Amino acid sequence: MTDEITEGGAAGAPSKRQSWLIVPPSKRDEIEQAARSGADVLVLDLVELLPDREKSSARNVFRDAIAVAKAAGAEVFAQIDPSSAETDLRACVWPGLAGVVISRAESAAQVGEIGTLLDRLEMERGIAGGTVHLVAALETARGNHAAHDILHASHRMFGATLGRADLVMDLRPEPSGEIHLMAYLMQRLIIITGTVGVTPLGAWWRAPDRGLLATPENTYNAAHRGRAIGFKGAMCLRPEQVEPLNRAFGG
Amino acid sequence: MNVRRSGLTMPVVTARFVDNAWRRSCDFVIIDLEDSVPQHLKAHARTLVKDAIASVSKGGAEAFVRINHDSMEEDVEASVWPGLKRIRYPKTEHAHEVHRLDALITRYEGARGIEPGTIEIDPSIETALGVANIFEIAAASARIREFGAATGGYDLSRDLGIEMFVDFDQFVYPRGEAELAARTLGLGVRTAPFVANTTGSVSDADRALRQAEAARKCGLRLGTGGLNPAVVENHNLGLTPTEEELRDAQWVLEQYRVVEESGAAWKTIGERVIDRYEAARAKELLEWAAACAERNREKAEAVARVKAQA
Repeated sequence: MTDEITEGGAAGAPSKRQSWLIVPPSKRDEIEQAARSGADVLVLDLVELLPDREKSSARNVFRDAIAVAKAAGAEVFAQIDPSSAETDLRACVWPGLAGVVISRAESAAQVGEIGTLLDRLEMERGIAGGTVHLVAALETARGNHAAHDILHASHRMFGATLGRADLVMDLRPEPSGEIHLMAYLMQRLIIITGTVGVTPLGAWWRAPDRGLLATPENTYNAAHRGRAIGFKGAMCLRPEQVEPLNRAFGG
Repeated sequence: MNVRRSGLTMPVVTARFVDNAWRRSCDFVIIDLEDSVPQHLKAHARTLVKDAIASVSKGGAEAFVRINHDSMEEDVEASVWPGLKRIRYPKTEHAHEVHRLDALITRYEGARGIEPGTIEIDPSIETALGVANIFEIAAASARIREFGAATGGYDLSRDLGIEMFVDFDQFVYPRGEAELAARTLGLGVRTAPFVANTTGSVSDADRALRQAEAARKCGLRLGTGGLNPAVVENHNLGLTPTEEELRDAQWVLEQYRVVEESGAAWKTIGERVIDRYEAARAKELLEWAAACAERNREKAEAVARVKAQA
């Protein structure tokens, strides 16, 4: 851990990481399109947006995908699966990678292991130690329960998101339009990220939208609400959702 | 899978309620030794529990007993008989209370020929201290298989001075704490989405239906019970999937098979997304519907047996 950090959280993080667009690394045209969207961060995803049988080919092209994604000036993160952490990290930790989103993060021990792997890969691959930041996606009950310990587990930790908790935990809309349990989980995350000193990322779409299909207008509304609750940026799944995120969180 | 959509709490000392409980179509009946029994009748009430367990379960309902916080030993001794499925423990505030209850139940299970470990514990969270210790309480015994808090909210509202009948969700935090604990521990989640009840009525069948339907549409499966027979049928109905939902679930699974065969992770059809999450929801719904149908059959058969003997 570096000396100047007192509250936890990644040192020297750039201030503008508001809009995060998730893209499958295996589809070059989609990455090029995403890179033109104005997203602050492109998240090359090894978990959600591709079927299992495409995962190994996606790992093989990951290094090239970083270069394509960076061409338009966005930062590049990788989203990895903790159950294949070493394989995923070997595929994605190359010069140019700014950070890693840990999907379904569930324990401090898991984050600690990922940190150790990153130490080693950075050294092997000529990357300055501590360059690669972490974002914990708290998408399960266990992950949310252990949020405080998880976010404290590495000096690389930049932020936390609820990711796709609505789907992973199967949380559905209540008659009010709010997603069941989400008001509680969001407020809990804002308090915990505040105490640890990392950045909360989130925007919540209300029924009937799922994030994958949300229109720009609904995305803006979700982001506007997210910002009002205390989030400092958000992730999205479609290039046309980036502009509304920038508008809602910018300025 | 336990199907526990509907239930009534019955004062054990009121014979006409207890005697007719089996006719109410409840998935469970809570035999009450606590709030509905006046202090001077507590000792008498304990003598009635054994017969009440047999009586309320004649129609296929599971029999539960709600004991008193301050007379745990006497109440457990009076309640642990064959047929009892669960003990509700009011105003739980510490894990050690659950440990003590667990040990007492174990003793009487052994003494009365009941398979060890089968009787469940249902700790009620009804005070600020209970909320503060909620995770430790939920984790305190393997007998706890379902968990929830503030589903009625009366005692919690009294402890904290929270108003009961308002048109917004005044229990976001305690309910959230309870549900996160339940999910983290892999317990059944017993909660209810917020549906305003500004009148305080316990016999409003329409509201009961709206509440149960909202719960079902949220993917919740466990009923929180009621106080008036008028709500039972709508709790059963509201938590049981509709024919339309079953057809939709089958359609989703067919579409997902196409997605899998195509080698994609997801696709959209109109306004719908078809992916592994939607497929998992559809599969669960079909399983739940089958369990509900089986439960309805069990209850109908039990009722028919009673009528044949009469």
